Amino acid sequence: MIQKKVCMVGAFGVGKTSLVSRYVRSIFSEKYHTTIGVKIDKKVLASDKGDITLVLWDLAGEDALTTVRPAHLRGSSGYILVIDGTRRNSLDVALDLQRRAADAAGPVPFVVVINKADLRDGWEVKQAEADELATRGWTVIETSAKTGAGVEEMFGALTRAMMRAHHVNDSKAGAVAG
Amino acid sequence: MSTAPSARELERDPKPNGDPSEGYVRLRELLVGPEQARLEELQRRLDDRQLRTEDISQVVAEAIALRVRRDRGLQHTLNPLVEEAVRISVARNPELLTNTLFPIIGAAVRKAVAHALRGLVQSVNHTLERSFSVEALKWRFEALRTGKPFGAIVLARSVRYRVEQVFLIHRETGLLLHHVARPQQVVQDSELVSGMLTAIQDFIRDSFTGSPMQELETIEVGEFNLWVQHGPTAILAAVVSGTPPPELRHALQRTLEEIHNRFAAQFSAFQGDTSAFIGTEPLLAECLLGRQPRAAKQSHGFFTTAVIVTTLLVAAAIFLLVRRESRWDKLVNRLRAEPGIVLTGAEESWRGYRLTGLRDPLSDDPEKLISASGIDPGKVSVRWEPYVSLDPKFDVSRRFLSERDALEQQVLRFPVNSAQIGLEQLVKLDDIEVHLINLQQNANSIGQRFAIDIRGHADPTGSEEKNATLSQARADAVLNALVTRGLPREMFRTEALGSRDPVRRAAQADITELNRRVSFHVILSPEPPR
Repeated sequence: MIQKKVCMVGAFGVGKTSLVSRYVRSIFSEKYHTTIGVKIDKKVLASDKGDITLVLWDLAGEDALTTVRPAHLRGSSGYILVIDGTRRNSLDVALDLQRRAADAAGPVPFVVVINKADLRDGWEVKQAEADELATRGWTVIETSAKTGAGVEEMFGALTRAMMRAHHVNDSKAGAVAG
Repeated sequence: MSTAPSARELERDPKPNGDPSEGYVRLRELLVGPEQARLEELQRRLDDRQLRTEDISQVVAEAIALRVRRDRGLQHTLNPLVEEAVRISVARNPELLTNTLFPIIGAAVRKAVAHALRGLVQSVNHTLERSFSVEALKWRFEALRTGKPFGAIVLARSVRYRVEQVFLIHRETGLLLHHVARPQQVVQDSELVSGMLTAIQDFIRDSFTGSPMQELETIEVGEFNLWVQHGPTAILAAVVSGTPPPELRHALQRTLEEIHNRFAAQFSAFQGDTSAFIGTEPLLAECLLGRQPRAAKQSHGFFTTAVIVTTLLVAAAIFLLVRRESRWDKLVNRLRAEPGIVLTGAEESWRGYRLTGLRDPLSDDPEKLISASGIDPGKVSVRWEPYVSLDPKFDVSRRFLSERDALEQQVLRFPVNSAQIGLEQLVKLDDIEVHLINLQQNANSIGQRFAIDIRGHADPTGSEEKNATLSQARADAVLNALVTRGLPREMFRTEALGSRDPVRRAAQADITELNRRVSFHVILSPEPPR
């Protein structure tokens, strides 16, 4: 059985936890975020190579008081960068986090998700900005924790990218090709 | 070969100022000139060492990376090379390596020393704890008997702990490589537990130590201990119930080293495929040491009972010995202090006691003292030589006795058929009075109670009835005379013997006269008068 460590990072309150809560197996309570800064969940996906278990490290949201520990990012095979479409600031935080994640975890695959797709009319993140991320070669997926839209796609895209890296182990692959 | 006919055609072709071979060369140049030049260039590059080196230098890193990913052949090839290089480097310039290692050597030494000290303290504690236990003695004996190391016996026999689960965790990712648990053990999702444990370790290291060299080694939760052993690429975490002995940590460490050795290739190729580590199962299962602590308590209880009973028996034996000793000492001291007894020997052996000495007949009976001491008189053999003590107590006793003897010698005589005390008898009565007073005084000082029996006698002539009345009258007369002289009446009793107790060994002529008399008899410790 193949296991992969995957981190979920993003600014405080972008909805990382609620994004996955309905789709993962969890035995730890929300308290873990505020106490030790991380909560670990599990997502099992089927693939042609058998089941793949994603061990999800749901890291506490970054704000003025909390910073993501690089130690938590170390050893990740991939990560999910979560942006809140309704808060422009969360995009900047995500860009900063991406740089730090790449430092700590190395050039591993990742996906960018813009959450709260159900509130698309109120988005502060402009379409042009999202497109700009895609032009960097990053995979950008719009998701909604409320409707569940895009969540399975998010897991699927990241897993495929990680499995490509698993077989080729091309250390230069920084982002998932669209 | 195909060019040969065309060459012949060219030769036949008349050309001005032309050498036919020149045309051939020109044609060749036209047709394959560029390829020719490229071949020559390639040849030159292959021949030119400098250029070839440059070429290889451009791809060597990628080539190595590619090969390393494929297998471990390169590592094996390079290994002796690297070792030799390091050796040469150290031989040439030891300072270089020293300077390189300097920033980490202090921390490494500190960690090693701290680790060793902690282990030492722990084992000293346990050694002290164990030094006095029955269990430990049994284990030491078993170790001697079987030739196994003591630590192995402790791990196998210790009943105070049980390893319930063992996690083998990949250090960098926190992924669970393998997990074993006892049957019936409630196991939470072990992959999540493994990840969380890793996260908690990061958290504690970052929050409290600030040093990447320090590791979380123990977590205690109620009756459970989580013991974590750290290796370079993997972590071994054991969930233990009860109180594990320090030897368990060594066992975990050995297992972890063994896994690192045997699975080095799997570790370096690890990309998340945990099936490569199924082979660790037997090694991890070996770590499920210890026994059910509950069963332990029962057998522990048995030992405790045995220890308590033994202690009580020993204590009782000591108590009896001490009491026996103290009773004997008391008896000997009591006998030494006793007036009229001189102890010349007091021996004690396992079979019994032996007392020898001198004894005044007036002294208290030593048998009484022996009985009062609590020692079985049957076990005491005694041998007393008689002697006369000059102790004041016996002086008075002796005087009492001599007064008694003197009094009992006294006899008052009476005329025929009379109870009248004659005048000539009054002098005797004076003597008797003196004797009685002395007797009374001596008796008081030695605490001796006594009474005087005044016995009236008659001669054998006459009827017995008459003689009884007469002898009673004689006794009463003497009693009255003595009471008149101020002696207490309660001191006396009277007795009429008639002619039943005649005087013997006297001349027949005097016998009737001598029998008309009153005699005195001292009764020691009399019954109180009714």
